[in-house]
Amino acid sequence: MSAFLSYLLNGLAVGCAIALIASGLVTIHRVTGVVNFAQGTFAVVAGLCTSSLLGLGFPHGLSELAAVLAAAVAGLLTGLAAIGKRGTTPLASLIVTLGVGVLAYAVEIVLWGDQPRSAPGLAGSVTVAGAHIQTQHLLVIGVTAATFVLLALFFGRTYLGKALTACASNPYAARVVGIDVRRMGLLAFALGGLLGGIAGVLVTPLRPISFDTDVTLIVNGFAAAVFGALTRPVIALFGALLLGVAETMAAGYGYGSHQLEVALGLMIIVMIVQAGRRSAISEETV
Amino acid sequence: MTRFVRPAALLLVAAVTLVLPATLDDSALAVYILLGLAAIVTAGVSLLMGYAGQVSLGQGAFYAIGAYTAALLSLGGVPPLVGLLAAPVAAAVFALVIGTPLLRLRGHHLAFATLAMQLILLSLAGQLEFTGGDIGLQAIPQFSLGSFEASGAAAYAYMTWAGLAVVMLITHNVISSRPGRALRALATSETAAASSGIPVGRYKLVVFALSATFAGLAGGIYCFYTGYVAPGSFPVLISIQYIVMAVVGGLGTIWGAVVGATAITLLVQGLDRLASLPGMPTYAPSVLSYAVYALVLIVVVLFMPRGLVPALSRRPDRRPRR
Repeated sequence: MSAFLSYLLNGLAVGCAIALIASGLVTIHRVTGVVNFAQGTFAVVAGLCTSSLLGLGFPHGLSELAAVLAAAVAGLLTGLAAIGKRGTTPLASLIVTLGVGVLAYAVEIVLWGDQPRSAPGLAGSVTVAGAHIQTQHLLVIGVTAATFVLLALFFGRTYLGKALTACASNPYAARVVGIDVRRMGLLAFALGGLLGGIAGVLVTPLRPISFDTDVTLIVNGFAAAVFGALTRPVIALFGALLLGVAETMAAGYGYGSHQLEVALGLMIIVMIVQAGRRSAISEETV
Repeated sequence: MTRFVRPAALLLVAAVTLVLPATLDDSALAVYILLGLAAIVTAGVSLLMGYAGQVSLGQGAFYAIGAYTAALLSLGGVPPLVGLLAAPVAAAVFALVIGTPLLRLRGHHLAFATLAMQLILLSLAGQLEFTGGDIGLQAIPQFSLGSFEASGAAAYAYMTWAGLAVVMLITHNVISSRPGRALRALATSETAAASSGIPVGRYKLVVFALSATFAGLAGGIYCFYTGYVAPGSFPVLISIQYIVMAVVGGLGTIWGAVVGATAITLLVQGLDRLASLPGMPTYAPSVLSYAVYALVLIVVVLFMPRGLVPALSRRPDRRPRR
């Protein structure tokens, strides 16, 4: 029972990190219609930044904050490349973000080398009902919960958040009432970078990050995001938690070598089921 | 005028292709062979993206299937020719099987699903017993036909470029046929194509399988040439590389695949030489090649969306811009 509980909490922590990546994808896709392939890159940039800043002797807190801001800047730059030019179709933008992801490899290798790096997180563990839980896992869960609450408040209560939602639901109408859709798209990319950065900062102490970790991160994040059809963050959150718990359980109970296949297979099945419910017309007009 | 220019240009290209292997040294031949193999796979990607309007980020998976099929068969004592012919067939069968559910997806969903497929296959190949795990398969016999054994690189160069010629001929015939026009129609609007009586699902599946066949053929030649296959030979980046080549050359043009593969391969090779000059850091080759792939892809997608071949040929393309 205690093993089960610790797998469950570990799984929830992994799922939370996936959820942050997925929420970034959803935010960008809702506002701009672009699936951002470089979403995993933001997490990698933030993770590598943290490890460097901590290594240089900067205190905790400041290092993490700076790393998340660096990821947000990376998000903004990606946005400029992907939607900065007028008339770029969403599929062309996807390919551009793919290019940004590969370009980031070059930059990351120059700055940090090609070996995985880690960063110290919260040390120690607590015992809950006989199960040992790393404090870092609890931190991941707590920060993710806070982030989602803040996101909900931002989209529901602030003028800027409502403007973003307006762009998501009807770009034309949003433009009519004086919202700059392109600027909102860039804002969404920066927000996506911020969310990816938070995920990266939280994950780096748990598992070492190297420049090509982004593929695993983006694939897991995308798998979670498709649960919510790339538009509903709350369902994406549940998808991510399910994915995290399923992967950790599979690893914990001896199917560890197949956890990637489980996640990817699940994602493909969900997408195919969803595609069966959509008609070609609705997709072509969007 | 063009009636004479075209065959003349074609003859010139063919002559240069045939003469080159005899004059190049071994390291240049290696580049020449890999270029030809990349062009074969890219021809399939270009067909799939340009005509069926579908993006596959998992073309490397079909390449790997072709390579593993030929390797396993010839290690099992089957004549190499059978192995080489089985490679494209295995890739096509696999594409037909997984394409049936996968091609219900479109756009970014399909892109991610094909990427996932490649990741799953690589992970399986790295774990299974009969594929040799992460170490892969080694000591694959040389390609031979009767008493002739292809021992030198020049023989593989001829094999590769003969394969490319076949692939280009098939592509030419497909796109100038009635199904080719149907494919162009469904790339612009599936709904409109379906309402004019085009069996959309079946055509998409066939093109998907055809592009896999090309990749499988290239994989088969590759395994005989290197004598070694492992999961590490087929990273995700290789699939992205084919997209870059197809986009650079011009989607849906027959020569685009060759031009794109040539441009990117030569560019990367040139930079590699630059990066291995004394005084350059050890990471320079990989950094430069990542940077080149990325920048070329971004610039071409944004500023030259139809690729090099249509942009350079003066005759305006009558096909509407997609």
